[in-house]
Amino acid sequence: MSSQKKRPARIEPFRHKVETDPKFFEKSWKKLHDAIREIYNHNASGLSFEELYRTAYNMVLYKHGPALYENLIQTMTEHLQEMRRSIEAAQGGLFLEELQRKWDDHNKALQMIRDVLMYMDRTYIPSSKKTAVFDLGLELWRDTIVRSAKIHGRLLDTLLDLIHSERMGDVINRSLMRSTTKMLMDLGSSVYQDDFERPFLEVSASFYSGESQQFIECCACGEYLKKAQRRLDEEAERVSQYMDAKTDEKITAVVVKETLTNHMQRLFLMENSGLVSMLVEDKYEDLTMMYNLFRRVPDGHSTIKSIMTSHVKETGKSLVTDPERMKDPVDFVQRLLNEKDKYDNIISTSFANDKGFQNALNSSFEYFINLNNRSPEFISLYVDDKLRKGMKDANEEDVETVLDKVMMLFRYLQEKDLFEKYYKQHLAKRLLSGRAASDDSERSMLVKLKTECGYQFTSKLEGMFTDLKTSQDTTQGFYAANPSDTGDAPLISVQILTTGSWPTQPCSTCNLPPEVLAVSEKFRAYYLGTHNGRRLTWQTNMGSADIKVTFGNGSKHELNVSTYQMCVLMLFNTADCLTYRDIEQATAIPPVDLKRCLQSLALVKGKNVLRKEPMSRDISADDSFYVNDKFTSKLFKVKIGTVAVQKESEPEKMETRHRVEEDRKPQIEAAIVRIMKARRVLDHNSIVTEVTKQLQPRFLPNPVVIKKRIESLIEREFLERDKVDRKMYRYLA
Amino acid sequence: MCTPAAGRVRLNVGGRVFETTADTLASAGRDTMLGAMLDASWNVPATTSEYFIDRDPACFAVLLDLLRTGGLHLPPHVPEAALCREALYYGLLDRVRAARWADLDGDRLRLAASVPGRAPGDGAAVRAAPDGGCCVAHGAAVRVYNWMLQERRPVHLAHKPVNDAAYLDAATLLVATRDSSGGGVAAFSALTGDLRHRYLLTHDRQPRPFTPGALAFDNHHSTIFASCKGRLNEYGVAAWDAATGEQADFFYEPPACALGDADALQWLHGTGTLMAATMFPRADSSFVTLLDFRCRTVAWSWSDVGTPASLEDKHAVHAVAMEDGWSVCVVNQYDDLGFLDLRSNARGVRWRSGSKLTGRKKVCAEETCYPKLATHGGQLFASTTTGAISVFSGPDHALTSTLRASDGGVVCDLSIGGDRLFALHNEENVFDVWETPPLPII
Repeated sequence: MSSQKKRPARIEPFRHKVETDPKFFEKSWKKLHDAIREIYNHNASGLSFEELYRTAYNMVLYKHGPALYENLIQTMTEHLQEMRRSIEAAQGGLFLEELQRKWDDHNKALQMIRDVLMYMDRTYIPSSKKTAVFDLGLELWRDTIVRSAKIHGRLLDTLLDLIHSERMGDVINRSLMRSTTKMLMDLGSSVYQDDFERPFLEVSASFYSGESQQFIECCACGEYLKKAQRRLDEEAERVSQYMDAKTDEKITAVVVKETLTNHMQRLFLMENSGLVSMLVEDKYEDLTMMYNLFRRVPDGHSTIKSIMTSHVKETGKSLVTDPERMKDPVDFVQRLLNEKDKYDNIISTSFANDKGFQNALNSSFEYFINLNNRSPEFISLYVDDKLRKGMKDANEEDVETVLDKVMMLFRYLQEKDLFEKYYKQHLAKRLLSGRAASDDSERSMLVKLKTECGYQFTSKLEGMFTDLKTSQDTTQGFYAANPSDTGDAPLISVQILTTGSWPTQPCSTCNLPPEVLAVSEKFRAYYLGTHNGRRLTWQTNMGSADIKVTFGNGSKHELNVSTYQMCVLMLFNTADCLTYRDIEQATAIPPVDLKRCLQSLALVKGKNVLRKEPMSRDISADDSFYVNDKFTSKLFKVKIGTVAVQKESEPEKMETRHRVEEDRKPQIEAAIVRIMKARRVLDHNSIVTEVTKQLQPRFLPNPVVIKKRIESLIEREFLERDKVDRKMYRYLA
Repeated sequence: MCTPAAGRVRLNVGGRVFETTADTLASAGRDTMLGAMLDASWNVPATTSEYFIDRDPACFAVLLDLLRTGGLHLPPHVPEAALCREALYYGLLDRVRAARWADLDGDRLRLAASVPGRAPGDGAAVRAAPDGGCCVAHGAAVRVYNWMLQERRPVHLAHKPVNDAAYLDAATLLVATRDSSGGGVAAFSALTGDLRHRYLLTHDRQPRPFTPGALAFDNHHSTIFASCKGRLNEYGVAAWDAATGEQADFFYEPPACALGDADALQWLHGTGTLMAATMFPRADSSFVTLLDFRCRTVAWSWSDVGTPASLEDKHAVHAVAMEDGWSVCVVNQYDDLGFLDLRSNARGVRWRSGSKLTGRKKVCAEETCYPKLATHGGQLFASTTTGAISVFSGPDHALTSTLRASDGGVVCDLSIGGDRLFALHNEENVFDVWETPPLPII
């Protein structure tokens, strides 16, 4: 009463003296203790929940929570120890069953005990930070039973033994396994992991390491993969049947590591059955399996990819560098296409159209196709072949697919401009000789090239088509203006070719026969009369003619010959025998061409309309030629081919290459100027990189050439070297 | 006596017979006394008898009504404390609480209680607990109230002055204290007041004394943050792992950011950053900084250093990050609201001209209670220098309600949690509890 204030009257709340019953705790606890015993003995029917709940409530209310909790632990432990003895006594296969039965009993009892002690769970336990009753029951089960000395090892061994025998093909009681692992999971994920999962994974690892060692000694690659796949499926099924779903990933990783990762190189490189032989033999099924299995292995796919790439590169390289193959360009390209089809099929059926694999395949093709610098020419020849005669039997759709495939090869080419050159030549030949079988297919090829390389690439090719169309009109116009008065004068059909659009050779004129000369002069007059300011030059090396011949033996034939050949043959209208020198003087045909045309007239079996003395293959200046009076042919119309070189000869090849190199120069220079105009100042290496990048779609410029072009531009004062840093170039506007 | 129809249950509670359905009782849940009693594992009494429960029937009638209707109706003759005790017996206390008040709506608040304080001196801070309880920091102790606003054992850390308090969860209270030898951060049981853990701070593996300022958590309450001032210029924001209690990180104060002095920390869930606000008058200028602990960088910062002082010398005195995650609301000592845009750096406060809460009046020099801010459910709550609380709603933060209650003087702190708003008054040491009543049925 130290307060100075007067204490106001205050009503004290009535205080029970809690001495009501000194035996309160003992009595109450006995009630609960007995009830717990009855619960464990499956004899709970006589118990009143309300009474037990109220008892526990009162104990907590009167601050007996801590003692109640301690006693609960003690009682529950005693019951569990009793259970442990009975589990330990179970023999052999009954062990798991007994454990399971007791676990069910404990769970049921625990549920009821928790119901009774619910009030303690709600009030005393949160404020004292103790474990809730149900969790306490699980912990006690774990410590008293699962981790007890005699049960811990035995439980694990039993489980692992069962799994082992299942792996060996025995049938085991899966539902018992399931309920046992479920018990471990219920005890907490750490119990499941420490007491079962980790040892299980270790045992599995050693099992599979042994088994895979055994298999790899005696199995072929495909068979081994089949076994590995089956094991993986089995393990996944096992996990789904009686383990935690999280184990799936781990056990799969173990099996993959032991059976696949550890043996990867050996499997791939297995002789006669490894990856390469699967590729060679088109073993789609095995390849599919390999692809799916090694998806799980880190860098499994990349290893498959690199082995495939090196194999493709190797076979491709031997294909394109084989001199045998160079002889037949069509076959050469057909083989490339077959190879491409083969791997496309493998990737689409077995490798799930994997983009990575497609890219790898593309880069390998790009690698080896460009190893042979004649590839552009060959591909163009292949197209020529297809567009020339393929039409007769194949329908347009087939040609279309062939062309699409060719475009694929075309994409791999680095020297696309070279292809363009050849394509132009071959197209010109096709068009002028009228042997382009289908206009639609030709145009569709042009469209493909246009979409691939842009308008510039094909503008000249398109110009060629336009020229042909206008030529037709012009010829018609010519005959409309000059109705062919006499039946004797030869008919001419003129193709007017725009200079620049066509691959023209240096103009080598010849003396036309007077009949033809007269008509062509008439045409020239007509053409120049309708078009102002044009120049017309005769490309006699490219024309063809149909002439009617009556031989000495009376047989009549119509011959289809080239312009040169016509000139030669017309000479024999006035002479019976002519020497080579005579012919050369009369026609003024360049010697190389003349020799070639004489060869085809005199030396080709079945088409030898001329006779040569002496009968040798080579033609010398003094050889003399006669009309072959004994000429016979089954056909009325005879086509005299020129001894044509389909493939280019060595000097021609050099010339084409030279021309291409020349054509590249302005393109490289233009690129350099474009870049420098934008960047003003740039170092050498960057220019080279940029130029290469810009010109990539057409060809791969050589850095040395780029350097030369830069020097030339410096000379012409487009660029200058920086005065301080000699590596830098400066653009001079 | 005829047998009850299927699904019907007869209860005799303290002599009064109730009849209801098993479904109604089961709706209480398996983890309640009634749910367990009806569970099949327990013996069902013979068909002729009934369940007997030795409890007060009047309270049971209220609780049965709660189970049937979901609504709580307390007749005048049933004391609230008795009802709560009975609800606790049956395990229905959470339901009672849920039926007491609805989700917080700033425009439908009613004053639920005014609780007078007994401590000497001014209250420093009020913090709402997640379950509707609260604590009030009074000088050297923290007084703890449960959601029935019954006082629990107060919490103190060696009776040192309290800087801040925060609920880690409904049962765990963190307290930050200061004293001359350095303060500390400790966790207490909110239920019993027992000390659970003291959080330590080490620099270069050496434990160092420190003085914590403000406390905060990340959105999962898995990391604890505190602004800290050390002896040897170890200023910054410390982070502890809530589960282990070990120090997880320390964000050292970069130049031109007053982190160690921060008087408010707030976790921004959307961006995963921590806002640290150091305000006038604790510092000479106001700073707001967003810290990114993942890459240990300052994600955004603002300060009014160098802003030309206007005539009235306005300063931001409190800041709160809005729930949209891209703006921070600040208030100055004249109750003006302003906004900072977190999406752009280096832009000043957009003061709202129309937000003037009151006619500007001269603020007395000794009255040091500056306005405080809080947000909840898109609404903004601001205490004003006149002792009222303003509620702003909508995207433009229009003033929609004004709360004015007990005559305890100016509101010096407010806190929202457990769907309740707590406002601590300066003079009478009284705190007001505001809650939203359940919607009327019709």
